[in-house]
Amino acid sequence: MSNAPTKRHLPLMLGYKKNKASVRGKDKKVSLNLTSMIDMFTILVVFLLKSYSAEGQIVTVSDALTLPESRSEQKIELNLEIIVTNDAIVVDGEPIVFVDETIMSEGNPIPVLVERLSDHLEYTRLMRGTTDEEEMKVNIQGDVATQAILLQRVMSSCALAGYATQNLTVLKVEGGDER
Amino acid sequence: MAQAATGRSHRVRHVPELDLLPVMNLFCVIIPFLLLSASFLEISIIEMSPTEGISSGAGTTSLAQSEEQQLQPKIIMTDEELFLSTVFRTQSISPAFPEERDGEIVNSYDFEALSEALGVFRIELDRAFPSIPIHKITILTVDDIRYDNIVMAIDICADHGFNQPGLQVAAYSVLQRAITAGAGGE
Repeated sequence: MSNAPTKRHLPLMLGYKKNKASVRGKDKKVSLNLTSMIDMFTILVVFLLKSYSAEGQIVTVSDALTLPESRSEQKIELNLEIIVTNDAIVVDGEPIVFVDETIMSEGNPIPVLVERLSDHLEYTRLMRGTTDEEEMKVNIQGDVATQAILLQRVMSSCALAGYATQNLTVLKVEGGDER
Repeated sequence: MAQAATGRSHRVRHVPELDLLPVMNLFCVIIPFLLLSASFLEISIIEMSPTEGISSGAGTTSLAQSEEQQLQPKIIMTDEELFLSTVFRTQSISPAFPEERDGEIVNSYDFEALSEALGVFRIELDRAFPSIPIHKITILTVDDIRYDNIVMAIDICADHGFNQPGLQVAAYSVLQRAITAGAGGE
C-alpha cells in the first residue's frame, strides 16, 4: 500500500494560514525579479541621455562622402551647403561642376561655381533686403580623399562670390577643444 | 513532546518589497524617446581663415606684410615630407609614410612630432614676442594632399592655440623655395 498523498488526503497537509486553493496553485502569485532589468535600463538611459542633443541635427551628410574626423567642438550652423567629392561639386543639392582632370590641374576660382554662389547671395539679398555676416557663410562638406587643390578652388570660389567665412564640416570625435 | 527552548526567536522577518513597476513604465517611455532622438554622429565645423589664391609655379609666395603675419607659422605638406616653417627656422618634422585607412593605403605623417614642434614654437614665440598674440597658421600644401591629412594638421595646430587656420595650395617648386629660404635663414 502506497503512502503517496491523494486529493482526499490534502486537507491533512495544510499548514498555518494555508487553504486548499493555495495548495492547489490557483492563486499562486508570480513575482518577477526586475532588479537586473532596472540596472540595465539605468545604464541605457544614462548612455542615451549623454548622447542626447536637444538642438537636433540640422545638417544632412551626403551618402556620397565620408567626412574627416576632428576634435573641433564648434557647433554647426545652418548655412549654404557645398558638397565636394572627387566626382562633383554640389551646391544646395544641385550638382554644379563635374570634377575632371581640367578642374584638378588649375588653381583659380571655378567660374561656374562663382556664378552659382553669386546668384545665391543675390537671391538672399533680394529676399531679405539686406545681407549680414551670418548669410555670408558656407559649410563645405568634403570627402576624406578630396585633394587639396579641389578644396582650395572651392574655397577661393566662395571667397570671390562674397562668402567670406568658409566652414569645413567634420565629424566630431572625443577629446575636443572649444575653438 | 514540547520543543526545548533555544532562546532564539523563530519569527520570520518580511522585508518590504520595492514596487519597481512604475520605474519600469517610466523607462519604457524614456528609452524609445531617447533612441529616436539620439544622434550618434555629431557634426562640428572648423572655421577657416580667408585663403589666398594658388601660387603659380612661376610666381613666388607673397611674404607676409604685417608683424603678425611675419610671425605666423606655416605647415608645409608635400608628398614626401612635412615641414614646420616659423620665424625662427624651417624644420623637417616627418617624412611621409604609407598608412592603411579604411582599407586604402594612403600617405600619412607623424602628427605627434608636429605637435611637439608646435609646442616648442609656441613657448619660443610667447617668450620672444609676448605682446603679439598669434592664432593664425597657414597650411601650405601641394595639389594632391588628402583632405583628412589637412584636417589632422589643423587639429594639432588648434591644440597649441593656432586656431585660425588658412589653406594655401602651391606648386611643388614654390614650396621647395619656401623650405630652402627658411632653412637658409636658420
